[in-house]
Amino acid sequence: MSGRHLLVRAGTTVCALPVAAVRRVLRPLPLHPLPGAGPALRGLAEYAGEPLPVLDLARLLAAPPGGAAPCPVTVVAWAGEGAARELVGLAADAALAVVAELPDGVEPFDLTALAGGRA
Amino acid sequence: MRTARRHLLGWLLLAGLAAAGAALLWAAVGGAGVAAWPAWAFTALAIAVLAAYGVRVDARSRRLAGRLTRGEERLARLQGELAAAFGHLGAGDLLRGGERSARLPEGIAGSFTAAGRALSALAERIQDSSIHVAAAADGVNQVSGELAAGSSQQAASAVEITAALEELAHTAAQIAGNAARQAELAETAQRSGAAGAAAVDGAVGGVEEVQRRIDAVARRADALGSRAKEIYRVLELITEIAQETHLLSLNAAIEAAAAGEEGRRFAVVADEVRRLADRSQESVDSVRAMLDDFAGSIHATIVATEEGGKEAARVLERAREAAAAIGALRGTAGETANAARQISLATQQQTAASDEVVTTLREVTRVVQRMTGGLQELADTAVRLSQLGLSIQLVAQTFHSDSPRSLKHLIEEWSHRLDGAGREEVAARLDALVQGTPFIEMGYLADADGKLVVLCHSKKLMGERRRLSEEGARQVDMKQRPWFRAVARERRTSLTTLYDSLQSGELCFTVATPMNGAGGGFTGVLGMDVNLTSWTQTA
Repeated sequence: MSGRHLLVRAGTTVCALPVAAVRRVLRPLPLHPLPGAGPALRGLAEYAGEPLPVLDLARLLAAPPGGAAPCPVTVVAWAGEGAARELVGLAADAALAVVAELPDGVEPFDLTALAGGRA
Repeated sequence: MRTARRHLLGWLLLAGLAAAGAALLWAAVGGAGVAAWPAWAFTALAIAVLAAYGVRVDARSRRLAGRLTRGEERLARLQGELAAAFGHLGAGDLLRGGERSARLPEGIAGSFTAAGRALSALAERIQDSSIHVAAAADGVNQVSGELAAGSSQQAASAVEITAALEELAHTAAQIAGNAARQAELAETAQRSGAAGAAAVDGAVGGVEEVQRRIDAVARRADALGSRAKEIYRVLELITEIAQETHLLSLNAAIEAAAAGEEGRRFAVVADEVRRLADRSQESVDSVRAMLDDFAGSIHATIVATEEGGKEAARVLERAREAAAAIGALRGTAGETANAARQISLATQQQTAASDEVVTTLREVTRVVQRMTGGLQELADTAVRLSQLGLSIQLVAQTFHSDSPRSLKHLIEEWSHRLDGAGREEVAARLDALVQGTPFIEMGYLADADGKLVVLCHSKKLMGERRRLSEEGARQVDMKQRPWFRAVARERRTSLTTLYDSLQSGELCFTVATPMNGAGGGFTGVLGMDVNLTSWTQTA
């Protein structure tokens, strides 16, 4: 897959999100935990007057904790494909940069695999 | 005969005178006649005178001569008696002298007896007095001996006290010297204390200045700390701005990417902005790191100043305590110096007083020593007086009177009691007499050849002290003993001089008297040894 990517870090793992799917990078949003939700779903936030499910990127990547000083962010991106796509929030430890070429060892994160944005 | 010749001569003289006168007268008248009557008359007168002489004078003269002869004979007899009586008296035998004086005329006998009694009384009084003198002299000797011993001890004690006082004075002088040195030391300590106090005061001032400076440093460090916190706040603000800028640049890049080709240049600017934000963040991080070091240094400075302040406070407290201690020490040193000076003064006075006492004690010692010498002389004099008293006593004992104190009388009574008894009976009686007389050491009887017949010891006086057994005594030739020789020679009771007893070793003398047989012949000597001490005490 070609195109620009946003590099984000969760724990010690850096992954690349396709810029086309990324809507906005925000400071962490206030969360409302959902009872009975899975461990990857941190809770619901409010974005542009709509509820936004916020997922834990480190959980999704199964990344080990650690790394540099965190500067936590919530990346608002489109998950899924086509008509099923919806906005989700991905809670990461830091948003690093927008790059054209992926650095070695950094894998792109497949946002389309997030079915309906529900983990 | 002489009287008869005197009578014949008288007759012849008278007859011669008558014949011569008649012859001359007859020659003058010239023959017979009337003229011859004067011759006749003279002749007749002469014859008449001769007759009268023969009748009146010669007969009376003859009677007188006879009476004179008898008187002379009686006088010679009386002289003999008187000489015998005086002989006994001269030998001190007042008893026999009195007996012999009984044969003298009543007046003389009375006077003699009176003289004998007076002499006997005198001898007794001399004896009593001599005993008293001897006893008193013994007493004086004992007392003066005790006094001499006491005064010797007193002199020795005085010498000891003198030595002790001299030692005391010496010690007091040493104490005075030590006290003076102590006073000097205390004054030195006082001066040192003053210098120390000044030094401590200076130290206190210095520490207080240090404390003030530490406080100033602490205040400045606090101010620096406050300023550092402000810088942290500014850094946080910058960090926040940098992060916001970073997010803004990312979102701008995302928007530029969404704008496609039109957004490419904007994407470049957005990336530049992101880099600037990242560099800002890096700068903030390095400033923060430096600020962390700076804050750590300030904190260390604050901690160090706090520790320094506390240490300075402790030093100050100790310095103040030291100042107080030095002050107390100065006070004590001053008191010590005063006390030492007083001690020095007092001990100097004590030394002077001790010297005076020592001088006085030396004088006392000299007086006591002189007194001891005088007492020794007194004791010697008393001893001589005692010996003199005993000598007088012995002299008094040379008189033989019927007094119970007359030893001559006593031994002659013993000799009468032993007269005519056999040897065994003599031994029994003599032993009874010896044991019954407290001052007799021994009684003994020797025969005329000087061989011992009986010997009796006083159990009370001799006891275990017998030195000579009866068998040993038999070996002694009594003939050579002074008492035996005196009695054998004089045939009367005699006393020896004082000598040391062979048996007891004490002073004694012997009284011995001759033993006469039935015919009045000398058969032996009875003797008794008189223990002087016991005799004196008994008498």
